[in-house]
Amino acid sequence: MATVNGYQGNTPVATSTGSKHPAPTAKTADAQSVLKRLQSELMALMMGGDSGISAFPEEDNIFCWKGTITGSKDTVFEGTEYKLSLSFSNDYPFKPPKVKFETACFHPNVDVFGNICLDILQDKWSSAYDVRTILLSIQSLLGEPNISSPLNTHAAQLWSNQEEYRKMVEKLYKPPNA
Amino acid sequence: MESLTSSPVCNLGILTSLDNDSVQEILQSYDGFCTAANSLLKSSGDLSLEHDFVSHVHTLCKHGLHILSRDYFLRLLEEAFEKNGASRFWRYFEDYSKIEEDLEKIDEDEIQRVLCNALEEICLEKENQEKCLLMLVHALQSYMDNLTDGKPDFDVGKVYLFSKYQLIVSSILMANLPRHFPEVLHFYFKGRLEELSTIMDGELNEENEHRDRDEMDLDEKNKYRTGEMDIDECYSQDKFSENSKLVRNIGKVVRDLRNLGFTSMTEDAYASAIFMLLKAKVHNLAGDDYRSSVLASIKGWIQVVPLQFLNALLAYLGDSISFDQHSSGIKSPLASQPSSCYSGTNTPSEGLIRWKLRLEYFAYETLQDLRIAKLFEIIVDYPESSPAIEDLKQCLEYTGQHSKLVESFISALRFRLLTAGASTNDILHQYVSTIKALRTIDPAGVFLEAVGEPIRDYLRGRKDTIKCIVTMLTDGSSGNPNGSGNSGDSLLEELNRDEENQENVAIDDDFNTDDKQAWIDAQRWEPDPVEADPLKGSRNRRKVDILGMIVGIIGSKDQLVNEYRVMLAEKLLNKSDYDIDSEIRTLELLKIHFGESSMQKCEIMLNDLIDSKRTNTNIKATISKTSQIDPVAAETGISLDNLDATIISSNFWPPIQDEALVIPESVDQLLSDYARRFHQIKTPRKLIWKKNLGTVKLELQFEDKAMQFTVAPVHAAIIMQFQDQTSWTSKNLAAATGIPVDVLNRRISFWISKGVLTESLGTDPSDHVFTLVDGMIEAGKNSGNTGNCEELLAGDEEAERSVASVEDQLRKEMTVYEKFILGMLTNFGSMALDRIHNTLKMFCVADPPYDKSLQQLQSFLSGLVSEEKLELRDGMYFLKK
Repeated sequence: MATVNGYQGNTPVATSTGSKHPAPTAKTADAQSVLKRLQSELMALMMGGDSGISAFPEEDNIFCWKGTITGSKDTVFEGTEYKLSLSFSNDYPFKPPKVKFETACFHPNVDVFGNICLDILQDKWSSAYDVRTILLSIQSLLGEPNISSPLNTHAAQLWSNQEEYRKMVEKLYKPPNA
Repeated sequence: MESLTSSPVCNLGILTSLDNDSVQEILQSYDGFCTAANSLLKSSGDLSLEHDFVSHVHTLCKHGLHILSRDYFLRLLEEAFEKNGASRFWRYFEDYSKIEEDLEKIDEDEIQRVLCNALEEICLEKENQEKCLLMLVHALQSYMDNLTDGKPDFDVGKVYLFSKYQLIVSSILMANLPRHFPEVLHFYFKGRLEELSTIMDGELNEENEHRDRDEMDLDEKNKYRTGEMDIDECYSQDKFSENSKLVRNIGKVVRDLRNLGFTSMTEDAYASAIFMLLKAKVHNLAGDDYRSSVLASIKGWIQVVPLQFLNALLAYLGDSISFDQHSSGIKSPLASQPSSCYSGTNTPSEGLIRWKLRLEYFAYETLQDLRIAKLFEIIVDYPESSPAIEDLKQCLEYTGQHSKLVESFISALRFRLLTAGASTNDILHQYVSTIKALRTIDPAGVFLEAVGEPIRDYLRGRKDTIKCIVTMLTDGSSGNPNGSGNSGDSLLEELNRDEENQENVAIDDDFNTDDKQAWIDAQRWEPDPVEADPLKGSRNRRKVDILGMIVGIIGSKDQLVNEYRVMLAEKLLNKSDYDIDSEIRTLELLKIHFGESSMQKCEIMLNDLIDSKRTNTNIKATISKTSQIDPVAAETGISLDNLDATIISSNFWPPIQDEALVIPESVDQLLSDYARRFHQIKTPRKLIWKKNLGTVKLELQFEDKAMQFTVAPVHAAIIMQFQDQTSWTSKNLAAATGIPVDVLNRRISFWISKGVLTESLGTDPSDHVFTLVDGMIEAGKNSGNTGNCEELLAGDEEAERSVASVEDQLRKEMTVYEKFILGMLTNFGSMALDRIHNTLKMFCVADPPYDKSLQQLQSFLSGLVSEEKLELRDGMYFLKK
């Protein structure tokens, strides 16, 4: 982390942060620290080399990331790949980022718009979490859905029949265009 | 035909009034005239015939036929000259018609003899004919006198006749001129000049001491005019009396040749002979020795030989004004002496001055061409060859042919230096010498710019350039491995000098400089050479800065500083004492040139060493205080006294190579003890050992002798395993020392080469057995001498560097980029080159941040494509699935 901090004054991103998330000018110092935090998270994520999860900021805005997770082995989602979008606010990491599925995902806790019902993204959020843990949590959510509070009741009902569920996943799965 | 119209008797009316008697008289006297004229020419102006001749002429004139008689006489002369003079004259030279083909066979003495004889004869002939012509003139004259009682146009007639005759003579000779005659003349003059030069040289040697004294004084040399006077005065007395005969002979030949109308041909011949002689002299004097200045002696020679000769010649021929004054009276040999004519008028004749300028320019040009052609060698020998450079500088000031130098030197560089065979060190050394040498010739650095460019371009293409430069800059003592001079010293020296210069400049820039100084500066001002690039500022601002030009090769000082940091780290880590005086000095010098901030990290590194020294002493102090009997020391026989630590702030050091190594238990304990004490003193800081770095001084004791070594920790760890067990298989040893087998095999060769261990094949072919050599008898022979600490890391070639080299760092950087690229492609699918480039620029803020060019990225990406990590389709990069 120290190395990243060493270059704090040097990021071209600083100029374009306001485009999608207009921040009050009083919070520039905060925006700077968010920026640093996100940069160091990106660095850690890139160097970490976790397989099956990845994320990267969009071209000109470090507050908007694109994420990619692949279905874990030995789950019904094996062999699938889902795109996510993550958008961070100026309060990050004190507020969780907004995370949505960009690819349609047939899952009990994901609605048709891609919204995700995951506790750590709502009331259980802590500033100790980061992009990497979010992505890992979503990856594990795929294999272990919370059937008790479903957004997609059809999926929740079908979950008990893994074979049928697998067929449904395959039927609805549209691989993200490369 | 002015005389025709002016003649009172010549009009057409006279033809009608002619009667038979007159016709008869005319015919008779014409016959008589013809006979008389013929016999007159045959007898070469016999005076007895004069009376007869004159009366016939008178008769003809009386009838107004003087034109007829004159023309007839001239035609007779022409025929006679052609027959007796020209054809005979040319016959002398028939033998030399092949002169150009076999130059070896030329006998210059013979040419001289033949030429002299021929000239003598033809001149005699001409003289006789002139005598006859004069007779005709007299005859015509006396008739005219009778007619007019005065002498109105005698002169006109005489001058006219003689110039006509002269024209006839030269046109006859020219018409039959054999092609080789100029050659003959050339050889004649060459022979004569050489003879003269030999005489002069002989006398030069006699007077050598005197001359040497003259040449000692540089000022004297520059004002060679005065020097020449001296020389002339002391020699000319005896020298010239000997030479005057020779010169007079030549003078006579020249005068005869002029007399025959060969003026310009003669001048060409002796000019070319002089120039050839001068050229030979310059080549002879200049030769291949660049350690002495030859310009002065060439100038001296010009004064003594060709100019003396010309002076004498011109004086003899009466061309020089000064000569006229003296020679009008007596024709003594002394009269043609230059010294007397100098002292008389105190100015050499104009013709002589022109000759002198011509000769000097020619000498400058010849020497310059000679030096330029050998400039490469001269610069290789720099600074020993600086006299040759000085000569060249003076020549170029005269001739102004700097561009010739640039062109020729660049092509020499391309052929001889900028080739794969030349080592980078040599190229750099030559580059520095070139800068220094050309700075003498051209202080403004305009031509240096042009010459340096190809070298810089070439060096940029070499990988080890930066490394060599840094070594050159900082490593004064290590010298040049190829032995071609100690380049390191010279550069450091250069840095020092620049440092001093800067101080001087600072004073110069002060506004307090008085008017006098300003006036001196203004007087010294010279315009920039025409070739100067106006964009590069005027000469005052453009100081030739060697260091600047070297940094210019690399492009940026940052790269150089970075490389220096790596080398400094290497050097510091291998130090066993804390003596860093020379490093501090180097750093201070570098700071002056590159600024404090860029050298900050290096400064911290040096401070680390200073701090280490203090901390080390403190820790040692705690030992002696706390316990006299150290438990560890008692066990192993090694006490903390033997341990010196270099404590580094690793953030500011270049990345340090980590290498697995299990060091022997006893030493390990020592290290942790040291670390514990450090922690006590410096709480909350903790010491983390880099066990693979540093040096170990150890002594190996055998039954009959002891050997001392200074080695890397790896080597020490290996050999220490043999303390308890004299034979190890490589696998076991690798396990014991914690280093991979292949590394072990490489490292252990150090001990094998020292004769301490032997290697043999074990049962398992992949497993070697290393055994301690008993008694070290052969080992003593192998290692030659014992206790040589010096050969320590030298024997450990391609020495495992303790610090990651710049290339390694670069590779590491690139892996970071690779991960970023793979990461972004995972999320965005496909990306074009410039988008990857921009994204990296924006988000890759690793240390150091992404700073590659688009081209570098492209080549890196194509590397990834060939590694089958990426795919490239339609200008878009994809992940290879």
